[in-house]
Amino acid sequence: MNPGYLWGIFLGSLHAMVPITLASTGEVVGESAGLFNIGLEGIILLSAMTGALGAEAGGPIAGLIVGMGTGFAIGLVFGAICTYFKGVQLIAGVGINLFAAGLVTFWLIHLGVPGHHAVAEESMLVNISTPVGDFSPMILVAIVLPVLTYVLLFRTKLGLKIRAVGENPQAADVSGINIHLLRLFSTAAGASLAGLAGAYISVGWLGSVTKEISAGRGFIALATVVFSGLNPLLALLGGFIFGFFDNLAVWISTMPAVQQVIPWQFVSMAPYVVTLLVVAGVIGRARFPAAMGIPYERE
Amino acid sequence: MQDREMGFAGRIEELNKTVIAGVVGFAVGALIMILYGYDPISAYTALFSGAFGDLYSFSESLANATPLILTALTFAIGFRGGMFNIGAEGQLYLGALAAVTVSLFHLPSGIGIALSIIFAILAGAIWSLPVAILKAARGVHEVISTIMLNWIAQFLAFYLIAKILVDPLRAEKTISVAEWGRLPLLVPGTSLSCGIFVSLFAAIIIYLLLWRTTIGFDIRAMGYNPLAATYAGIEKWKIILFVFITGGFTAGLAGAVHVMGRPPTYAVYGGMPSIKGLGFEGLAVAMIGRNHPIGIIFAAIFFGGLLAGGRMMQLFSQVPLEMVRVVEGTVVLFLAIPELIRFFSFLRKVRIPLTFRIKRSQNKEGRQL
Amino acid sequence: MRYKYIGGKSDPVEGNGDIILRGKNICKGFPGVWEHLILDHIDLDIRAGEIHTLLGENGAGKTVIANCLSGFYLLSEGQLYVKGKPVTLKSPRDAIKHGIGMVHQELALVKPFTVAQNIALGLPASDLSFPIPEVEARVRELSQRYKLHIDPLDRVEDLSVGEQQRAEIIKVLYHNPEILILDEPTSLISADAEHLFEVLKSMAATGYGILFITHKIEEALEVGDRVTVLRLGKTMGTRETDKIDKTELVKLMFGEHTPVHLERKPVKSTKIVLEVKNLEALAADDEPALQDVSFSIREGEIMGFAGISGNGQNDLAEVITGLRRAAKGQVIINGKDYTNHSPGEIIRAGVAHIPEKRREMGVIEPMTVAENVVLKDIRISPFSKGFFLNISQITKHAKEIVSRFGALVSDLWKSQTRILSGGNIQRLILGRETWRMPKCLVAVYPTQGLDAKAIDHTWELFMQLREAGSSIFFVSEDLDEIMALSDRIAVMSAGRIVGMFEGSEAKREQIGLTIATGASRA
Repeated sequence: MNPGYLWGIFLGSLHAMVPITLASTGEVVGESAGLFNIGLEGIILLSAMTGALGAEAGGPIAGLIVGMGTGFAIGLVFGAICTYFKGVQLIAGVGINLFAAGLVTFWLIHLGVPGHHAVAEESMLVNISTPVGDFSPMILVAIVLPVLTYVLLFRTKLGLKIRAVGENPQAADVSGINIHLLRLFSTAAGASLAGLAGAYISVGWLGSVTKEISAGRGFIALATVVFSGLNPLLALLGGFIFGFFDNLAVWISTMPAVQQVIPWQFVSMAPYVVTLLVVAGVIGRARFPAAMGIPYERE
Repeated sequence: MQDREMGFAGRIEELNKTVIAGVVGFAVGALIMILYGYDPISAYTALFSGAFGDLYSFSESLANATPLILTALTFAIGFRGGMFNIGAEGQLYLGALAAVTVSLFHLPSGIGIALSIIFAILAGAIWSLPVAILKAARGVHEVISTIMLNWIAQFLAFYLIAKILVDPLRAEKTISVAEWGRLPLLVPGTSLSCGIFVSLFAAIIIYLLLWRTTIGFDIRAMGYNPLAATYAGIEKWKIILFVFITGGFTAGLAGAVHVMGRPPTYAVYGGMPSIKGLGFEGLAVAMIGRNHPIGIIFAAIFFGGLLAGGRMMQLFSQVPLEMVRVVEGTVVLFLAIPELIRFFSFLRKVRIPLTFRIKRSQNKEGRQL
Repeated sequence: MRYKYIGGKSDPVEGNGDIILRGKNICKGFPGVWEHLILDHIDLDIRAGEIHTLLGENGAGKTVIANCLSGFYLLSEGQLYVKGKPVTLKSPRDAIKHGIGMVHQELALVKPFTVAQNIALGLPASDLSFPIPEVEARVRELSQRYKLHIDPLDRVEDLSVGEQQRAEIIKVLYHNPEILILDEPTSLISADAEHLFEVLKSMAATGYGILFITHKIEEALEVGDRVTVLRLGKTMGTRETDKIDKTELVKLMFGEHTPVHLERKPVKSTKIVLEVKNLEALAADDEPALQDVSFSIREGEIMGFAGISGNGQNDLAEVITGLRRAAKGQVIINGKDYTNHSPGEIIRAGVAHIPEKRREMGVIEPMTVAENVVLKDIRISPFSKGFFLNISQITKHAKEIVSRFGALVSDLWKSQTRILSGGNIQRLILGRETWRMPKCLVAVYPTQGLDAKAIDHTWELFMQLREAGSSIFFVSEDLDEIMALSDRIAVMSAGRIVGMFEGSEAKREQIGLTIATGASRA
C-alpha cells in the first residue's frame, strides 16, 4: 500500500466528511435547543434536488444558497409544528422524510431521466487544483463552520440562551427568553446547514441526484451528533471518522483483493456499530439536554 | 381541558382528525400537481380506480397492505406502551431472509411454511432484543438504537443476499423460496396471497392482546402514565421487553409474508427494492390508523391502495406514482400535531410569533372567574 | 364546616418607610380548579427598609401571591402598584424592569452552567456579546458586599444547595431590584439560615423592601418587621412582630375551635403490622428527604402524620410503598423486610396506597372508569383467568364499587376517568384501595377536595377498617382530621419525626405549636 493510496483515501474522506459534518453541526445547534430532528435525511435529499436545480439556473453558488434556503424553510415548518403547535418531534420528522422521498422522485421523473439527474458540468462547484490533489472549497467551509458554531454556542450570550432553552426551559422562561421563538430559529438554522450539505452532494461532489443520493447520511449525521456529545468540534471529528468509513466502503467495494478479508458491507456497518456503543455508554457517556424532545408549556 | 368520552363520540373525534390530515395531504399533492401542469382531478380519479376499481386493483391493494399491517402493528404496540419502536425496517429484512433460509432445506409443504414463519418471527425478535435490553438496563433511547440497528441490518442483509443466500444462477437475488414454502395465491393473476389472512389474523391477535389480556392492560397503562402504572405495581422492564419482542415478531413476520407471497420470484433482490421502506411506511400506516389494529387494517388497505392506484395514475395521467409518497408524508406531518382540530380554528387568529407567547399565557391564566 | 375563622381582612398596620409595592384586592383563580379562588381579595404592601414576612401553611397561596407579584402569573382581578403607580406585570421581565426581584423556592438555575453563565442568561446584553468576564467581576463584587460567598466560575450542579441559593439570590440582586421576594428560602437550607437572616437584615437597612415567605413561625418572628398571615387564600391579619407572640400567630394560622375525637375502642392488638426503622431517603435533587425516621403501627391502629406538607410525609409514604428508594433503614411489613422492594410486591403484601397526587398517580386518566377500578387487582381471579380479562366480572365489581362509594359516572366502559371531578376520583381511589379491607393502608391527604359528606363517609370507613384490624398510616394537613381519627399522632418536620402524641390526650395548641416551630434549625 503506497502513500499515494493512503493520500487518496484521506482526500476522499475529506470530501465525504463535508455533508456529514455540516448536517451534524446544524443538528447540534437544534438539539442544544431541545429539538430532535429525525427529518435530516429528507432535508438533505430535498436540498440535493433543489440545489442542483438552483445551480443549473444560476451557477454553483446559487445552487448552494438554494439548498440552504430549502433546509431553512423545512426547518421552519418542522420547528413551528414542534414548538407552537406542540407536535411530536419524531413523527413530524418521519413525515418530512416521506414527503421528501416522494417529492424528489416525482421531480426526477418529471425532469427527464427517471431516477437520475446529472448536474451539468458547468453548474458544478469547481475544485481547487493543487499539486497534491483536487480540493473542494466546501471542505474549508466544513472545517470553519463547526469552529464558528462552537464559538457561538459556548462563547456568546446567544449560545447560552440556546443551551438554556434545551436544558431548563422553565429557568430560561423566567429569565424572559422566548422559548418557542428561539427553538424555532435554532432548528431552522440547523436545518439550513443540512440543506447546504444536501446541495453540496449534488453540486459540489457527486454531481447527480437520485432518490438514494442522501444514502442515509441524515441518519449518520444524527449518529455523529450523539458521538459529539453536542460539541461542534467533536462533530467535525465525528464527521471525518464517519466520512472515512463511508469512503472506505466504496473504495473496498472496488478491490476484490481486500474483499476477501473484509466484505465492504461490514465496513459500512462500522459507523452505526460505533454509535450504538457510544450510546450504550460503552465509549464515553452521551448526555442530551434535559428538556430535549419535550414540547414546552408554561405551567 | 378536553373532556372526552371514549366510546363512539371519542372515536369520531379521532376519525375527524385523520380525515382533516388526509384532506390536507391530498390538497398539497394537488397543489404540486397543478404547479407542474398535471390535472389533479384525473390523476386522483385514476388513483382511486386503480386502487379499488376492480377485482384486480383491489387484490393488488390488499397485497400491498399485507406487510404494512404487520409493520404498522410493530410501531403501534410500541406506541401503546409509550415507546417509539421504529426498528421494523431492520427486523423485517432479517425476517425475510430467515424465511428464505429455510428453503435451503427440503421440507414438506405445511411444515415448510410453518417453519419459515417461525424462523422469521424469531429473527425479528432477536433483532429487537438489543433495543429492549439497552433501554431497560441503560435507558438508551430506542429511536437511536433502532435506527442504528436498522442500518446494521441493512448491510448485514446485503452481505447475506450477495454471499450466503445468493442464487447460484442469478447473482442479483437470493435463492427463491421453494415451491413448498410459498403462500398460495388467493386471486390468481394477482399478487394477493394467503398472506393477507396471516396479517389479519395477527391484527386480531394484537387487538385481543392489548384489550383483553392482563399484559395488554399493563402495556396500555404504562403507555398512558408510567408513574401511575408503577404505582399500580406494573414493572417497566417487563413491559419494555414484551413490547419490543412482540414488535419484533410482527416485523419479522412482515418480511416472511412478503417474500413467501410475492410472485413471480419469491426472492429478495440485492438492494432490497421491494421490501425497503416497508418499515417506515408501516409507521405512517400506524399513525393514520391511530395505532389501533382495526384502524391499521383500514389504513393499510388505504395505503396499499395508494400504491396500487399510483401505478394506474402514472399510466393514465402521467403523474409519477411517487406523488403518493408526498401525500403520505404530508398526512403524517399533520398528524404529528396533537390538537389538529384546534389548529384550524387557530389559523383564523394568526398573530406574529413574537406575541404568541404572551397571548398563550393570557389564554391560560387571564381568564376571569 | 368545622372551622371558625378569626381575623378577617388585613388590618393595615403602619410600618415605617414608604410603600414600594402594594397589591390591592388581588384575586387569582386557575382553570380547572373551580371550587374556590386560590387568592381571595388579598391586600398586601411592602415598605422600603422593612422585612415583611408572609406566613401560612402550604396551600394557603403563598407561592401563588409571590408569582403574581413577580410577573410570573397574571392577576385574575386586582391591581398592583409600584411606588404608588399602577402597573400590570405581563412577564417576569416586566417585574425586573420595575425593580422587583424574586428568588424562587425551586431554584431557576440551569444546572450544567456556571453561576456566571446563569446570570448572563438574563441580561439584556446583545446576543453576540461575551459578557462573562464582566459578569464574573460584578458577581464577585456583589458577593463581597452582601457576604453571600460564591465563586462565579463554579458550575451550579457542583454547588451545595445553600450555595445554589446564594447564587440564585445574587442572580436576582444583579438587576438592582428595590424589592426582593424570597419564597421559602430556608426550606432548602436549615443550617445557613442565620447567615441569610443577617444578610437580609443588612439589606433592609440599606433600603430594600423584602417580602419573606415562610411557614415557620419562629422565623417569621425573628426576621420580620411585620408579619401577614395567609390562610386558604385570604389574609388573616397583619401585625408588627414585636407586638405579637407565637400563640396568637398559631391561632391566626390554624383557626380556633373544638376538635372532635371519634369514639372508639382502645387498640387491642400488640401485633405490629408496619414498622419503620431508621429510615433515610433522598429527594429528587439529592437533598435528604427523610432522616432517621422510626415508628411502628399496630393492628387496628390509626397513626396520623401531621405537619406542613413537604416535610417528608409523602416521601415517607412513597418509601413504604416502594415508589422511592430508601438510602438507609428498613421497612418491615408483618415481620418481613420489604425495604426497597418493588411496588408490586408491596401491594401483594397487603398494602393499599391512596396517593398524594390522585390525578397523576392514583388513576390513569385516559383509561376508563372500569379499568381504573381494577387497576391493581387485574391479575387476580375473578377479574382475569390466566391471561384473559373477565370483562363481565370486572364490570360487576366496578359497578358495585362505584355505587357504594358514590363516584358518579354514566358509563363505566366508555367514560374516560379524566372527566370525573377531583372528588369523584378520590372516591374511586378510596373504593379501590379499601374494598378488600387491606392489612395496611397508606393514605396521603385522603379527604383533600372532598365535600363534608364525603369526608364523614371516609372517616367512617377508616374507623371500620380499624375495627377490622387494618393498620392505617395517614397524612393530613387538616389538624382536626388528625385529631379526630388518630390513635397516635406524629408530627413531621424537615424529614424527621419531631413529636409523638397520644390521640386521645393531645391538645390542639400543643400540636399546632410543634408543627409551626418544628425543629426548623436542626
